[in-house]
Parts: sequence; C-alpha cells; structure tokens
Amino acid sequence: MSSRIPLIVCLVAGLIMFLQYFSAHPVARAMFNQVNDWWQIIFAFTLFVGVAAFMNNSMRAIRRGKERPFKTVSLLALISMPLLAIIGGTKIGSPFLWTFDNLQAPMQATVFSLLAFFVASASFRGFRARNLQATILLVAALIVLLGRMPIMAYLSDTIPELTYWIQDYPSMAARRAILIGIGLGSMTTALRVILGLERTYLRGQ
Amino acid sequence: MNNQKIRWTIFASLFAVIVVSYIITLKWRIPTSPSVQKSYDLIESLPPSSMVIVSFDHEASSLPEIQPISYIILRHLFSRNQRVIGMSLFAEGTAIGYQTLNKLAAEYGKKYGEDYVFLGFKPQHISAILGMGESIRQVFPQDYLGNYLAEIPLMSGVENYRQIAAVISLADGDRTVQWIEYTGKKHGLTILGGFTAAMITTYDPYLSSGQLYSAVGGIVGAAEYEGILGLPGKANRALLSQTAAHIFIVLLVIAGNIAYFKRRKGGK
Amino acid sequence: MDWGAVAAGLLTLAIYSFLYRDNPVYKFAESLLIGLSIGYALVTFWQTAILDKLVYPLFSHGQLLLIVPLLLGLMMFSRFSRRLGWLSRIPLALMIGAGAGSAIPAMLYERTLRQVSNSIQPLVTAGGQFNFSGLVVLVGLLSTLAYFYFSREHKGFLGSFAKIGTYFMMIFFGATFGYTVMSRMSTLIGRVDFLLTDFLHYLK
Repeated sequence: MSSRIPLIVCLVAGLIMFLQYFSAHPVARAMFNQVNDWWQIIFAFTLFVGVAAFMNNSMRAIRRGKERPFKTVSLLALISMPLLAIIGGTKIGSPFLWTFDNLQAPMQATVFSLLAFFVASASFRGFRARNLQATILLVAALIVLLGRMPIMAYLSDTIPELTYWIQDYPSMAARRAILIGIGLGSMTTALRVILGLERTYLRGQ
Repeated sequence: MNNQKIRWTIFASLFAVIVVSYIITLKWRIPTSPSVQKSYDLIESLPPSSMVIVSFDHEASSLPEIQPISYIILRHLFSRNQRVIGMSLFAEGTAIGYQTLNKLAAEYGKKYGEDYVFLGFKPQHISAILGMGESIRQVFPQDYLGNYLAEIPLMSGVENYRQIAAVISLADGDRTVQWIEYTGKKHGLTILGGFTAAMITTYDPYLSSGQLYSAVGGIVGAAEYEGILGLPGKANRALLSQTAAHIFIVLLVIAGNIAYFKRRKGGK
Repeated sequence: MDWGAVAAGLLTLAIYSFLYRDNPVYKFAESLLIGLSIGYALVTFWQTAILDKLVYPLFSHGQLLLIVPLLLGLMMFSRFSRRLGWLSRIPLALMIGAGAGSAIPAMLYERTLRQVSNSIQPLVTAGGQFNFSGLVVLVGLLSTLAYFYFSREHKGFLGSFAKIGTYFMMIFFGATFGYTVMSRMSTLIGRVDFLLTDFLHYLK
C-alpha cells in the first residue's frame, strides 16, 4: 500500500495535467484547476517541512555547543521575520520590509558579488590555452568580453558584430542541441514517472 | 609571490579598478542592439491602456543588475500609459516587485488599482503560469495588499491571458523559459525578457525561434534602453566601470597565459 | 542618519571580509542572512499560499474540498516519523505527477519540435545567396547532438563529427563565460555604487 497509493496518485495527477493541454471540456478544466490549486498548497507545505528540519538541526547543534553563537543568530533571525510581519505587516514602511531592504537584500547581493573576485582570480589562474578546445573557449570568451565592452562602440564595428554572430549562430546551435537533448530526456522521464516505471522518488523518507 | 598573495592582489586590484572608474562620471552614447530596439518598439507599438504583466522573477542577489532593467522598462510602460499587472514567481521578487512598482508608479502619478496592481507571489511557478491561462483570479484570489481581485477596477474584465498584451519577465534564472514553454502555442503570448547578462546565451535559441519576442540583457542592455528613452540612469553610470572591468579581466587572462607558456617552455 | 544604509554598509563590508579569509564577522553575517532568508520565505509562503489559497477559502468561503490538500500538506510532516514516513510519498506523488504531466507537451512541442523546426533553414536563399550562418547552425546542432549520442561508440565518422560538436560547445561555454564575467562585474559595480553613494555619501 505504501507504494501503490502514491503510484495511483501520480498517475491520476499526471494524466489530468497532461490532458488539460488538449481539452477545453468544462470537467477537464475544473479538474485541472483543482489539481493545480492543490499542487500550490502542497508545495507551500514542503517549505514548512524544510524550515522545521532546519530549526531542528540548529537546535541540536546549539545543544551540542557546535557553532552555538552562529546557529543562535540564524534561529533568532528566522523567528524575527514572522514576528515583524505579525507586528507591523508587510506593506511599504513596515519593519518587515525595512529588514528585507536593509539587511537581507544587500547581504544577498554582496554574497553574489563575491563571485566577481573569484571569476577574476580564475581568469588568471585557470583560463589557459592548454589545447584546441580550451583555446576555442578562451577566444570565444575574449571576443564576447571585448565585443560587449561599452567602449567598443567607439572603436570598432567588427568585434561587436562578430560577438553577435557567435552568439546567434555557433553558440546558439550548441545551446539548442543541449536544449533538445534535455527536452527529449525530460519528456521520457516524465512519461516513465506517470506510468510508474520510474520510482526513485518513492525511495527513502 | 605565493598563491594566496596573488589572489589578494587580484582582489584588491579589481576593487580599485571598479571604485576609481566609478568615481569618474561620463555620459555615454552607445548604439542600440537589435534585441533592445525590438523591445522598445514593442512597448511603443502597444495601444495605450494595454494590459502588461511584469513578472519579477528574480532574487535579491541579482538586484544590482536587474533593477536598472526593471526601472527603465517600467518608466517606458508608465510613460506610454500602459496598465501594469505586477507579480512574482520568486518569493524574494515579491518585496522587490511591490516596492519597485510603487516607486516608479509614483514618479508618473499612477494610481494603485486603476493604472497598476501588484498581485504578489505564488509558489510552484509552473502551476501559477498554467493556472493563469485558465483564470488569473483562480491563481491570485487577492492582490499583495489583500484586496480581492474582483474589487480592483483594473482587473475587471481581465480573465486570463486573452486580455494580456505582453508578458515581461525580469529574470536571473530560467523562469522566463517556463513562461515561454508553458504558455507557448496554446496561449500565444508575446513574451519579452529582461535578464542578467549571464543568462543571455541560455535564451538565444528562444530568441532565434521567435518563442521569446525580444530581450534586454544586463547592465549594457539597460544602458542601451536608457539611451533610447533619453533617461540616462544607473546603467549608463556603470558603463565606464563595466569597460574597465572587462579590460582588467582580458589583461588577467593574457597575463595568466603568458605565465603558463613561459613555465611550460621552462619545463621543457 | 539613515540607519538602514549604515546597517547595510556594515554588513556589506562584513561579507567582503571573507575575501581576506573566513572569519567570525563573515560567519555572523552569513548566519544572519540564512536566518532572515528562511524567515522571509516562511512569511511569504504563509501569506500567499496558506492564507490566500487555503485558510480564507476553506474557513471563510466554506470550500470544503480544500481539506484534501490540507491533509496532504500535513502528511509531508510525516517525514519526521520512521513509522509513518511513507505517508509523505502521497503528496510528493501528486506534485511529481502534476509536474510530469504538464511537462510532456511543453518539452515535446515548445522545447524540442519548435527548436528543431527553427534549425531547418534553406541553405540557399531566394536571392541565390549561400546561407553560411544557416549551415553553421545545422552543423553545430547535429554535431553537438552526435556528441550526446551514446548508443554507438564514438569512432570513425561519428567520432570525428562528435569532436566537431565539442568545438561548438566550447564556443557556447566561452560566450557564456564572457557574459557571466559581465554579469558578475555588474553586480560588484552595483555594490560599489551603494558603498560610495548611500553608505559613504561620497557620490551623489
């Protein structure tokens, strides 16, 4: 029963969502709306499960004394956001949005901007013309870097045009082949999942 | 010099290059790329009061790059008196979208509920995109402020994608791909993208096939758009630093390769 | 004084301290960010999915059928129990099934067929000119696909053709790297703008 019920649920949900593409019948539309709403609601619960697991792990780490101050900061920050939302709401001017604007968003953007430094370091230490493939990669990257450099508009038409050509034809062709491969693979996996041939999601708890 | 010191030197030099070049103020006039021109032309060609969905499909991490794009596109939309339905397919895009939309709408004296509305976020983006094709009210019973959609004047008569002139997805990932693939031929939406530069090559096949109408990519794309509208902003201001950073990276690649070939020659 | 900008500026510098080496100041900022991000997501998901789509319709409008997703959602918590853990597979199956069902038409038509059809271009235009770029796309597409064809050993013609595919992929990766550098630099410029303008008030 522990496998059969999920397999039936998966088959039914899969068929409803597949057939909705082809049918405008009111019953099909109603079923689609129902499954679609349920999908969103259940998805939201998965986040709550994740939050519960995070809190559980953090509490355990605090009890063991492992990185206690940092885990405590994380937990307090986590609790503070719902509290701020309850106390002051989530509209413009609320403490909740103030915290998002002045603490969360700047930190997130800064963490992301750290990558600029690591990309620079990698450009010097790892971006080498070791063989033909690496040389092609390097040359394509340099052409794009130079071609999309704003000042190039004043210096040359050739390099920006070459950049657009690379992007629109050879680079696009390779990306398209990768997309088609992913598309065919995803479609096959989706069919196998609906038909119950692919059951890896039933493993573990 | 050991590896750690080389890294610190590169980090400090990059930071210095960007700070110094950012302090220097230059007004740039750069040519417009075809895709940015096409995006501008699309918004110009829409009749006034057309319904446009602007979806903030990005997180705060890419805000420095996406914000100039969202600002200039919203300025264009509001200056053309288009009606904007804001939403987000990322939780973080909600706070960003809500505030950005209100800020830009205030610049043009637009009224909430009549000229624009912010629907907020819905989890499970594919389900949200599919559901809105059926009924926007089914997916978003209320807007971000808790008003029922039936009570919002702007939303009267807006049932699903049939009343939408275009969707503008401002994305730092592949959310726009889902807009393209899950609305596709069935709904025939005109989709315009505003992306981080890192995502540009991902979307090239969709631009080539016409599934994605056009795109504004990265700071340079935003600066080109600012140029057409004659409203130079943060993107235009960033162009000198962007140029300096590109030159710095190109020099690093060349220096790295010279060192590599010298070492290889010495080794032989 | 704008305390928001002061806090944001100090936290920005705290994160940049990582460039020197991992340290407690960075770890504090990192822990704060993790907690705030999860807390923010919690509030947003609660407001937009649970209140909006479940609590109000179920308790204010009496849509009793919504008890089903409520129960299915609660079943997700059974993952914490060894005995009842299997129950979480049921809501999981609904989500996976719905995702798979809706993906088939999207993957088949929008991702595969439309991309294939756009690659089939005449190699000689109506004006009698040779369409070199069209040929590049065709060779690039087929050779890259050949590289991912694993049902036959990559020897002989297939091997050589697949090798051409790797050159096209290198062009794609190179172009993507170039644009990624551009993107990361823009993000850094954005932070420098904040530090110089809002935090230090050095620029206007």
